[in-house]
Amino acid sequence: MNSLVAAELLKIRKRWMPYVLLLTMVAGAAFFIWLIGYVSYKDNPADEFSGEALRTFAFPWSIASLLDSGQFWGAALFVAVLTSSTVATEYGWGTVRQTLIRGQARSQYLVAKLIGIALVCVAFLLVALAIALVFSLLATAAAGETITLDVPDGPSVPEIGVMIARSAAGILPYGLLAFALSVGGRSTALGVSGTIGYMFVENILGAVLNELGGVAADIRSLLLGHNVSSLIAANRIGSGDYVSMAPRDAALPGDLPDVWLATLIIAAYCAFFLVVAFAVFNRRDIPRSKGTGCHCMGQWRRWP
Amino acid sequence: MTAVNKGAGNDSEPILKTVGLTKRYGKRLALADLNLEMRGAGVLGFLGPNGAGKTTAISLILGLIGPTRGRVEIFGVDPRAHPGPALRRTGAVLEGPSFYPHLSARDNLRVFGAVSDGAAAARVEEMLELVGLRGRAKDKVAGYSLGMKQRLAVAAALLSDPELLILDEPTNGLDPAGMREFRELIRQLGRAGKTVFVASHLLNEVEQMCDEVAIIKEGRLIARGPVADIVNRGGAIELKASDMQRAKEILESLECVRRVTLEDERLVVEAPAESAVELSRALAEKGVYLAELRPRETSLEEFFLEVTQESA
Repeated sequence: MNSLVAAELLKIRKRWMPYVLLLTMVAGAAFFIWLIGYVSYKDNPADEFSGEALRTFAFPWSIASLLDSGQFWGAALFVAVLTSSTVATEYGWGTVRQTLIRGQARSQYLVAKLIGIALVCVAFLLVALAIALVFSLLATAAAGETITLDVPDGPSVPEIGVMIARSAAGILPYGLLAFALSVGGRSTALGVSGTIGYMFVENILGAVLNELGGVAADIRSLLLGHNVSSLIAANRIGSGDYVSMAPRDAALPGDLPDVWLATLIIAAYCAFFLVVAFAVFNRRDIPRSKGTGCHCMGQWRRWP
Repeated sequence: MTAVNKGAGNDSEPILKTVGLTKRYGKRLALADLNLEMRGAGVLGFLGPNGAGKTTAISLILGLIGPTRGRVEIFGVDPRAHPGPALRRTGAVLEGPSFYPHLSARDNLRVFGAVSDGAAAARVEEMLELVGLRGRAKDKVAGYSLGMKQRLAVAAALLSDPELLILDEPTNGLDPAGMREFRELIRQLGRAGKTVFVASHLLNEVEQMCDEVAIIKEGRLIARGPVADIVNRGGAIELKASDMQRAKEILESLECVRRVTLEDERLVVEAPAESAVELSRALAEKGVYLAELRPRETSLEEFFLEVTQESA
């Protein structure tokens, strides 16, 4: 399996897409920390929303705000695009056929691909987070605030690790949704648009169900996004608000499912998406791709 | 109809076997009840017009698509259920070579080597040298011509030193020199003990590199047999004599001769090849002497057209 994962990593890291996506994430973080946070705060330090702006960019509150926005856009932008593209382009290129005729079991093919994508996503998202935190530290210093973890309800270093893990758990199901859609639909567009569409539609559906109340509101508790919100809400530092770039209902922890129950429900979604992807891929016919190329007058140099 | 290749007198377990292999796409029957066996070293040509079902058959054999009915065994194992044991000893070139365009030829072979096994990964440089791509090994495959991709596909197929080679239109995109060298390679592989299954619609190619052929049309196997038998099956002798008209009259009177016609200043005598001595003697006894005598060969193309039109 090691050599298969190494081959997957070689295929992904030699594409330009992960680097472009990383740059986009870093640009988003810069926009978020400097413009949404720092500039808003410096322009109107006495404004009624200045505390909100401060908690958006200033360390350590920025950890929660970055993980909140990062969960949504990391999942929607980075993970969904990278996953869908990595899976679906193999169909377009016809390389999925080339790989499977070498005796690799189909489930092994998907597992290696999942591990490769996961490793790249973790590495690149951690790099984006690290750069965003550097922006935050610089902005905190520039605003004349003290850089310390010692604030009311401030996290310890291990707790920061737990916060990152919660955010990652919020990204994982959407990555697996993109995986299942692109495996099933053999299409990057379907994987990306399906995942982003699901995230937005689910938000709207959640709001509607909540308005309806009763059983409808209970059904809302089973929605993926609602449970992800529970994990993200658990990352809050103190009770103060912050700006989030994630278009989700900013419910407080008390209005959301218990974190452990939410984790279980998210795990169930993950399992469902995985089962769908593996079941479809193991059963499906993999027809010939429409290859393109040109004729040449090349020379065979030597046969043994 | 069943096609059986016994190769170099090998009666062991079949290397490749299909039993009643059938594939239907909705109402369209892509392959019907294909029974094939390959038991030893040798090259089997799998012929058919475009759309006859060759690629479908190969996709079924390699486990890429599932049969509607029937089964495939490679080295006694179902390649769809147990791809490892069946396909790790098999190399294949699929129609339309497919590679990672953003990777170099070397990296592509490394990726496929990792999928095959460790030994395959160690043969990357050797295979690049074999197909004449070592000088371009660092270049991205996106910039390769179809012919170069085809060569790379052959390298990828041979990477794991397979016992069974399955090739679908392997000479597509190759120039005449490349085709000739490829034919020679296939013949060498057959002689070296490999079992080679080549699907093609290029009859001349198949005639020159295969020991046996199987012909399919509209998904059905309609003929099979050794190439030598097909080429020599004409049952006719061509000759030139000192007096053509007299020779024709003499030959027509012989019991072993079915028909004599004049074609291109030669008499074409429909008679068994072993009757050549008798014809020669009969003419000489009547004072007509031969200037030329040879068995008439049927080209694979003629045979192919004959059987595919018969089945229409």
